Amino acid sequence: AATEWNVSVWGKRRAFTEHVEKLAELVAEKTGGEFTMNVSYGGLSKNRENLDGISIGAFEMAQFCAGYHPDKNRVVTVLELPFLGVENLDQEVAVARAVYAHPAAAEEMAQWNAKLLMTSPMPQYNLVGTGEPRDELAEFEGMRVRATGGLGEAFKTVGAVPTSVTATEAYQAMEGGVVDTVAFAQHAHLSFGTINQADWWTANLNPGTVNCPVVVNIDAYESLSDAHREALESSIPEAIDHYLTNYAALLERWDSVLEEKGVQKVEISPEVISEFQAIAGKPNHDAWIAEMEGQGLPGQELYDLVVKTLAEAKGGS
Amino acid sequence: MEPIEIGLWVSGGLLVFVVLGMRVAFAAALAGFVGLVWLRWNGFDYDPERFWKAVEISVKIAGLTPHSKVSAQVLSLIPVFIMIGYMAYHAQLTTALFTAAKRWIAWVPGGLAVSTVFATAGFAAVSGASVATAAVFARIAIPEMLKIGYNKQFAAGVVAAGGTLASLIPPSAILVIYAIIVEQDVGKLLLAGFLPGMFSAVVYALLIIGIAVVFKSVGPPVGGFTWRERFASLPPALPILAVVVIIIFFVYNPFGDAWGTPTEGGAIGAFIIFLMALYRGMRWKQLKSALLDTAKLTVMIFSIIWGVLIYVRFLGFAELPEAFADWITGLEMSPMLILICILLAYAVLGMFMDAIGMLLLTLPVVYPAVMALNGGELVSAADSAFGMSGPMCAIWFGILVVKMAEFCLITPPIGLNCFVVAGVRDDLTVQDVFKGVTPFFIADGVTIALLVAFPGIVLFLPSLAG
Amino acid sequence: MAGSAAVLEDSSLLSRLDRALLPVERLCALLSGIAIFSLMFLAAWSVTGRKFFASPMAGYVDYIEAAMPIIAIMGVSYVQRDGTHVRMDMLVSALKGRTLWFFELVSVLLILVLIVALTWGAWEHFARSFDCARPLCSRDSSIDVGIPIWPSKLVVPVAFGVLVLRLILQAWGYGRALILGLENPVAVPLALTVAEQARIEAEALEGSD
Ligand code: NA
Ligand code: NA
Repeated sequence: AATEWNVSVWGKRRAFTEHVEKLAELVAEKTGGEFTMNVSYGGLSKNRENLDGISIGAFEMAQFCAGYHPDKNRVVTVLELPFLGVENLDQEVAVARAVYAHPAAAEEMAQWNAKLLMTSPMPQYNLVGTGEPRDELAEFEGMRVRATGGLGEAFKTVGAVPTSVTATEAYQAMEGGVVDTVAFAQHAHLSFGTINQADWWTANLNPGTVNCPVVVNIDAYESLSDAHREALESSIPEAIDHYLTNYAALLERWDSVLEEKGVQKVEISPEVISEFQAIAGKPNHDAWIAEMEGQGLPGQELYDLVVKTLAEAKGGS
Repeated sequence: MEPIEIGLWVSGGLLVFVVLGMRVAFAAALAGFVGLVWLRWNGFDYDPERFWKAVEISVKIAGLTPHSKVSAQVLSLIPVFIMIGYMAYHAQLTTALFTAAKRWIAWVPGGLAVSTVFATAGFAAVSGASVATAAVFARIAIPEMLKIGYNKQFAAGVVAAGGTLASLIPPSAILVIYAIIVEQDVGKLLLAGFLPGMFSAVVYALLIIGIAVVFKSVGPPVGGFTWRERFASLPPALPILAVVVIIIFFVYNPFGDAWGTPTEGGAIGAFIIFLMALYRGMRWKQLKSALLDTAKLTVMIFSIIWGVLIYVRFLGFAELPEAFADWITGLEMSPMLILICILLAYAVLGMFMDAIGMLLLTLPVVYPAVMALNGGELVSAADSAFGMSGPMCAIWFGILVVKMAEFCLITPPIGLNCFVVAGVRDDLTVQDVFKGVTPFFIADGVTIALLVAFPGIVLFLPSLAG
Repeated sequence: MAGSAAVLEDSSLLSRLDRALLPVERLCALLSGIAIFSLMFLAAWSVTGRKFFASPMAGYVDYIEAAMPIIAIMGVSYVQRDGTHVRMDMLVSALKGRTLWFFELVSVLLILVLIVALTWGAWEHFARSFDCARPLCSRDSSIDVGIPIWPSKLVVPVAFGVLVLRLILQAWGYGRALILGLENPVAVPLALTVAEQARIEAEALEGSD
C-alpha cells in the first residue's frame, strides 16, 4: 500500500537538510514510489514545536535542535557540551550515533512518541563578528553572541551574553546591533547571510557545536510494512554519506567565500584557546553531569560514552 | 479526494462564513480546524472508527497554534505601535502639529487643507493606525476650515484621505503584519513605507493646490503669521521629530550601525511620548483607559493573526499555496498585467472588508504566487520579471498592497475613515464625506500607478540599508 | 478603534451573570495592557543597558516571548463581549428581529464549538510542557536563560476558558431573543450600523481625554 509521510524542517533547502532530501529520494526509489516523503520547510510547524508535532502525530518525521528547548530533550544535550574535542563530521556522526543508541535517549524521546533516526552532523560553530576582531577572552566580556545550548553556556562563563534571535533573524540582529557576533556552522553563515554582515571569522576557536536529530513518530514507524521499514533503515547510511560529501564540498569553497566577501580570517592563539577551554570546558561538563544526575538521568554514563566513543573514532581515523 | 480539492472547498466555506458575518478571526480558525479534520480523515480513507483520532490530532495542532504563533519577539512591535498612538493623543501632539503646519504652510492656495494633509502625515509618524488619525483630525481641522468658508464636503474629504497616511509612514501595524506573514525583514518594510507615505502626502497637497487655483471658492490661502509665531509653534511638536528620528535610526543609521531593532525603537519612541503625556497632565485614570484601549485593539488584531494562522497551517498540509502559485505562473499573461489584476482584485475586496483581515486572509496564497511570478524568492534583479531581487519584490509588493488597503478606507460602501469623520461631525452625513473624498481617488490612483511604474520610490531607502 | 458597542442590562439572571463576568474580563484585558506597558520599559532598559553600560540584559528575548500570550490573548473575551472582533457586517446589518438572532445564534454556537476545541488543544499543549517530577515542573524551557515555558502556555487555555463562559452567555442571550422575539435583548452586543459604530468609536477617543 502507498505510504506518504509529511516531514517538517525549516528555513530553506540547504546543506543542513540535504540528508533528509536524500532520504526521501532513496526511499521513493527503493519502493518504486510506494513510500514517499513530503519535505516541508516551515509549512507544517514552527521549528521549536517540531517535537510537539511528532508527539501529536501531526507529521511523521521532523528535525529539531537540542538547544532550542533543553528541558524537552535533556539527554541529547550532552552532544552540545562545549569543547568536547570533536574534530570533524565523521567523529560527530560517531558520537551522535552512540548517544542516540543509549536507552536513556530512546526513553526520553519515547515520551514525545519519537524515535531518533539520525543526526545532522554539524562542524564546529565559529563566530562571525562586526568591528574589531575579538581574539582575547577579555574581549568576550559583555559581548552579545547568538549562541544556543551548551555553546551559549560556554560564552556565558567568560562574561558574554547569549541572545538567541532565531536563525532567520540573525542577519537583521547583527545589522541592528542586537548581537555583536553570531556562532553558526559555515553553511548557516552562508544560508542566513550573516557572512555578508561580518568583518571577521574565527577560524579555530572551535568551541563546540549543536546537535540536531531527525526523529520519526513511533506509531508511524511501527505501522510501516517490513519492506518500507527496510527501505527507510537501509537508506540512512547513504543519506548521511551524501550529506558529508556535500558538506565537504562546501567547506572546500569556504576560504574563497571569505576572500570574496572581504572577511578577515582570525586565528586565535593556542594560549587563548586553552584558557577558554579551562574556564568553559571541564567546569561546564561537570555542572551538566551533576545536573543530570540530580534529575535521575545517567549523566556520568552518557558523558563517559561520548568520551570513549570519541577516543575510538579518533583512534580509528 | 486530493488535498488541494479539500483546500479549495474549505477556502470557499471560509468565504461563506465571512460573508454571513462571523467574526473574521473565528471564521478563519474554524475553517482551518474543519479543514485539518477533513484532511486527516481523508488520509484515513474516511474510516468511521478513526474519525475521533482525526479530530484529536486536529484539535492538538490547532490548539498549539495560538501560543506558538504569538510567542515571537517581532510581534511585540504591534502593541507598542498601537500604544504610541493612544499616548500621542494624550500628549496633545495633534493640536501642536496642526498649529505648526498652519503657521508654516497655510499661505499656499488651499492653505488649511494642505496644512491638514501635512499635519496628518506628521501624526502618522506617531500613529500606527489610520482610523484613529482621521477621528482626531476631524475634530481639530474641520472646524477651522469651515470657519474660513471651506466647502464642508471637501474639508471632510481632506481629513478622511489624510488619515490613510498613517499606515504607510512608520510606525505602521499593518506593515508589521505584512512582514510577519511573508517572513520578510520588518525594518526594511517600515523604512520602505516612508517615502511612498510622504509621496502620497505630496500628491494630495498638489491636488488640493490645483483644485484651489481652479476653483477660487474652495479654500483661500491663510497668511499673516509672523516668523516669531512660526518658530513658537515648533517646540510642542518636536517630540514627533524625535520619534521619527529614533525609529529610523533604530532601523537604519546612515552614519554607521543601526541602533537596535524596530521594536526597541518603537518602545523608546513610546517612552518619550509617555513622558510628554505625563507632562501634559495624563494621570492613572487616563493611562488606564489608554492601556485598556491599546489592549483591546491589540487583542483584536492578534485574534485575527492566530485565527488566520490556524487556517494557514491547514493550507500548509493541503499544499494550496504551491498550487495557486503554479497556476498563476502558468497563465499566458504578462507578469505585470497579472500583478495589476491582483491589485485591482484587492481594490474590490477592500471595498467590503477590513484591511488587516483582507491581507491576512489572502496573503498566504497570493504572496507566494507574486514571488513566483517575479522568478522566486532567491531570484536576482537581472533574471526577474519585475526587475528586482526576490526580497526587494517582497517589499515593493507589500507597500503596494498596503497602499491599496488604505485606498479602500476611503472608497464606498465601507470606507471606514469616511464613516469615522461623519461620526465625529454632526453636520456631515456619510454621503457628504464620500462626495468630498472623491478627488482623492484620483490622487491615490496616480500614486499607485507611479509606485508600480517607478519602484525606486519604494526601494530607495531599503536598498540603502543593504 | 476600540470603543464599546451597546450591551444592554436589566435585572434578569442572564444580565446579572453578564455583569458578573465583565470584571473578570476587564481584569484580563488590563493585564494585557499592563504587559504592553511593561514591554516599553523592558525595551528601554535593555537598550540603555546595552548602549551606555555595555551590559546587555540576559534573556531579553525569552521574557518578551513569554509575555506575548498575555499581551495577545488574555483579553480575548473582553473583546468578544462588546463585539469588537472585526467582521463583515454587510449582510448582518441588513437583518432584523428573529432572522438576525438566528444568524447570530448559529455564529456564536459555531464559535463556541471552535473555542472548546481550542481550549482542549491549548491545554494539551500546556500539559506536554508540564511535569512536576522535574525541577520547576518544566518539560519545555526557553532558549537563552532556560526559563520554564509552561506558565506562558497556561495563559491560553485560561483566556479561552473565560471566552467559553462568555460565548455560553451570548448563545443564551441570542437564543432567548430568538424564542421570545425580542427587539433589544440584554447581554449581547447589539449590531450597530457602521455609521453608529464609527460615532461611538470617535466618542470613545474623545471620552478618554
Ligand atoms: Na504610522
Ligand atoms: Na471601502
